[in-house]
Amino acid sequence: MSTYVYGIAECSHPDLPDGTTGVGEPARAVRTVVENGLAAVVSDAPEGLRPKRRDLMAHQRVLYRAEADGPVLPMRFGSIAPDDASVRGVLAERGRHFRERLKALAGKVEYNVKATHQEAAVLRHVMAHNPHIKELSDANNAAGGGSYQQRMRLGELVVAAVQAQEAEDAERLYRMLEPAAAGVAAGPESAAWVANVSFLVDRASVEAFTAAVERVRADRPHLELRVNGPLPPYSFVEPGPAAPAVPRGAGHVSETVE
Amino acid sequence: MTTVVPAQQSRGGGSSGLYDVLELVLDRGLVIDAFVRVSLVGIEILKIDARVVVASVDTYLRFAEACNRLDLESGPHSDPGLPDLVGEITESGARGKSKGVLSGAAETISHAFQQGRDGDDGEEEPRRRRAPRKKAAASGSGSRSGTARTDDEE
Repeated sequence: MSTYVYGIAECSHPDLPDGTTGVGEPARAVRTVVENGLAAVVSDAPEGLRPKRRDLMAHQRVLYRAEADGPVLPMRFGSIAPDDASVRGVLAERGRHFRERLKALAGKVEYNVKATHQEAAVLRHVMAHNPHIKELSDANNAAGGGSYQQRMRLGELVVAAVQAQEAEDAERLYRMLEPAAAGVAAGPESAAWVANVSFLVDRASVEAFTAAVERVRADRPHLELRVNGPLPPYSFVEPGPAAPAVPRGAGHVSETVE
Repeated sequence: MTTVVPAQQSRGGGSSGLYDVLELVLDRGLVIDAFVRVSLVGIEILKIDARVVVASVDTYLRFAEACNRLDLESGPHSDPGLPDLVGEITESGARGKSKGVLSGAAETISHAFQQGRDGDDGEEEPRRRRAPRKKAAASGSGSRSGTARTDDEE
């Protein structure tokens, strides 16, 4: 029977989930595998596990509950060990590394912040601050939309202006939130976000952080911010400085598909 | 600071905790090489350094049109058509050079939720947060049935 691993904590963790429900249908019971002063939060691994919503939620829920009472290193979804013995082997072998991370993350949670532009608001902003663009737009309207060349010209200018605004907003968001955080990590890059950044926040500083988020909202009304947290510190399980989150550089528009 | 799972603060109405952190659950977190990872075939986390607005002829024309439309509207807050507008712009923007990847991933993500919902006894599907994805999924090859290639649900 293979073993699904949710996360790793110190044995001294006061309240590791035990008997609660994990992944699978029916949901497998969550238990711990202990070795070397560390405890892996695990359950039996269901056959044919897939990243379905129910299971993703279960993974997240188990970690969230554990994290509430003490630091837990969250595993990426879908980590499966051949059996409990190999989990013990890993705990024994890499105890030092796990302990270092658990210590570093104690009392801290992750907040993920995503920003998008409210496009209409941004376009208005761009037109208001670029008389040239406004003029072109007016002229095109007067000409019933304008010729192909005129529309291209206008669109090109607008796109450049919006891109510059994206870069500026991303940087601004970063600068305003970073001081309230203990760590920063770029979120996985994806289309459609002006910024996607995770912040490691001390539990004692959560109010300061959310206040900073409100300041960003007030400062940039054309930005829509989505804040998710507190989360298990998914983005901070590895040591070392976080990858540069923002800015990605004004005007840098590469489309590298990896 | 005890909150539900996952706690969420967001403006603008209901939203999905999971949808917003899906990428973290799937793409962040500890990986141990001695463990196997469940196949995520089909669930491609987007790795596109595509800003919302991608420079392309298509985008230029769309934006020109959007500006003209805004110009014709009256007042700074006349936003009744905003969702459509946003969808159109960003979708076409992202479509520039990465349509396949983008719509493919949107499909798979929505499909993952679809599956989950099917098995979740009516648990509310997270409101997907942005028109482009919905649109991309809808306009992708063959609508929802076309997503079957991603994650076979038996």
